Amino acid sequence: MPHRRTMTVVARLFLILALALSACGKSQSSADGPVVMAPSSLQEALEEVVDAWAARGHDRPVLSFAGSPVIARQIRSGAPADIVLLADEQWMDVLEAENLLADNTRLALLGNRLVLVSPLSSNGGEISGNLDSLPILLGQQRLAMADPASVPAGRYGKMALQSLGLWEQLSGQIAPTENVRAALALVERGEAPFGLVYASDLAASDKVRLAGEIPEAAQPPIRYPAALLTSSTNPDARAFLAFLTAPEAEAIFAKYQFFRLAQR
Amino acid sequence: MDFSSEAASIGVTGPSGAGKTTLLNCLAGLIAPDQGRIVIGSRTLFDRDQGIAVPVEQRRAGYVFQDARLFPHLKVSANLAYGERLGGATGDQIDRDQIIDVLGIAALMDRWPANLSGGETRRVAIARALFANPKFLLLDEPLASLDHARAEEILSMIEQLGPSLAIPMIYVSHQPQEIARLTDTVLNLA
Amino acid sequence: MISALEWSIILLSLKVSLVAVAVTLPAAYALAWVLARRRFSGHSLLDALVHLPLVVPPVVTGWLLLILLGRTGPVGALLDRWFGITLVFHWTGAALAAAVMALPLMVRAMRLSIDAVDRRLVAAAQTLGASRWHAFRTITLPLTLPGILAGAVLGFTRSLGEFGATITFAANIPGETRTLPLAIYTGLQVPGGEAAVTRLAIISILLSLAALMVSEWLIRRNTNGRAHLV
Repeated sequence: MPHRRTMTVVARLFLILALALSACGKSQSSADGPVVMAPSSLQEALEEVVDAWAARGHDRPVLSFAGSPVIARQIRSGAPADIVLLADEQWMDVLEAENLLADNTRLALLGNRLVLVSPLSSNGGEISGNLDSLPILLGQQRLAMADPASVPAGRYGKMALQSLGLWEQLSGQIAPTENVRAALALVERGEAPFGLVYASDLAASDKVRLAGEIPEAAQPPIRYPAALLTSSTNPDARAFLAFLTAPEAEAIFAKYQFFRLAQR
Repeated sequence: MDFSSEAASIGVTGPSGAGKTTLLNCLAGLIAPDQGRIVIGSRTLFDRDQGIAVPVEQRRAGYVFQDARLFPHLKVSANLAYGERLGGATGDQIDRDQIIDVLGIAALMDRWPANLSGGETRRVAIARALFANPKFLLLDEPLASLDHARAEEILSMIEQLGPSLAIPMIYVSHQPQEIARLTDTVLNLA
Repeated sequence: MISALEWSIILLSLKVSLVAVAVTLPAAYALAWVLARRRFSGHSLLDALVHLPLVVPPVVTGWLLLILLGRTGPVGALLDRWFGITLVFHWTGAALAAAVMALPLMVRAMRLSIDAVDRRLVAAAQTLGASRWHAFRTITLPLTLPGILAGAVLGFTRSLGEFGATITFAANIPGETRTLPLAIYTGLQVPGGEAAVTRLAIISILLSLAALMVSEWLIRRNTNGRAHLV
């Protein structure tokens, strides 16, 4: 007898809980801004830009971060997003070729730079010049960087290493990650002694330090394109995309080491 | 309880739950009594006060369980050899061929325990216990749930083997006829 | 038919999974035996801990491994300093991740078969003169062989398919930790990589099927004549 009563009480509690949770869910999603998919390297900067946008009284955009290849795959599979930012033009070309971008909305938004980082706790100063001593310093260990086969940061990194004449030597000694933040995390944790990441990642992290500058001549042309998607349904989407080019947003991006590109 | 006897075969009887199997388990060393002494032959197997407790594997008890407990993953011949390999090396007091003959299990050697009848299982169990060259024999209702013909058959086998074994035998049963035929002394646990 | 690169991925996967199972087998059996045969105050806690990798998201398991066994983790730092062993970025790390994920399945399968062994058989063996250890070797162990085999095969196939913990803990290093599932995942990232992925996926399915069929044969072979082993 007591057993049956307990079960009834439990069942009632469960029902109440389920109803309460579903009610909560509904109220949150009723007033959302546009869905923005962006590379993980833009995480901190975009959060602040969204804060600034919401502070002007607009609905808060929903942000989704991943590596550019993953974003591209999701959009090609029909993910319901409004705005897309990617970390290289190649992936944006893929989306454009499949007619997923709204006409005349594509623009080259931001630029970035590559740097070499190492864990904050490591000793040794900065490697100067063309980073010739990197292979020696690396020894038997691995260089953390995004996957050169598919992730923009990885492709840029490979380009830079090729310019420096180090790619042949180091290509067998990298730890490829699926986005640049994962490479950053490996260095933060001390698993890899060096990492090839964006200057914006260095700015965003307090657990790594600058270990070497990539000389200007070897810097690859890093371009973050942005565009509106044809599947966009949110009325605020175009306005937010325009806001990304406004001076207020530009200042925020600059703070995180992303510089605005001159329009092509 | 306090019991001692010079007899070669002792019957243990009493109603169900009286503790007959428990007694056998104590003698075999599978259970340790709270207090007391167990002496069989001239060996002290257990003495709580003196701190003596001979482990099971060294007591050399030939235990024929009520549920036979043949090893299912070994053929009959391997079951028999199990105890033989462990304790049989010391002297050949047991005539194995005679045992096989009397119990009539020669034809069963290559069979799996799962394919034996109730009576066949019992006979193999008895043989297995004997093959280990035990110092004393414990039989727990070996004829239980056998039909009359089989029971009679095995009864006469034990009767035949008994005298030639030269080791004490403790026989548990609640059937007075079995007790009467096989044993000299009776311990009643009622 | 199968390219050199695909062969190297398959061989790496096989190596990682075989090592994972081989190393975990005795530990899994010991844990299964303790959980099946012994009662002690930490019993439920041990049971829960063993099952943790089964219910926790694999990425979390990988992350926990990283905290403990990464180069700056408490155990990892010791391994590095005393033995010069690093697990992250190495196939041994992938094997460890696979082993941890496979352990609960192996323990469960073995525990079932240990539970099924009648303890009175062990008592009978003892009366015949067998020490506890001898009785274990000759009675319990052979009777639990089907459980051991089932556990090993389950563990092996689970290891073959292990992804989340591997990529989080050992990372995705081609030739070292890029096992079949990781290679398929990486292939999906490259535009136009679907063809290569399809081949790898088919190989993956065939490997699992082969493992299951081998296990069926092994189990059938070892229960011949033992009709009532359940």
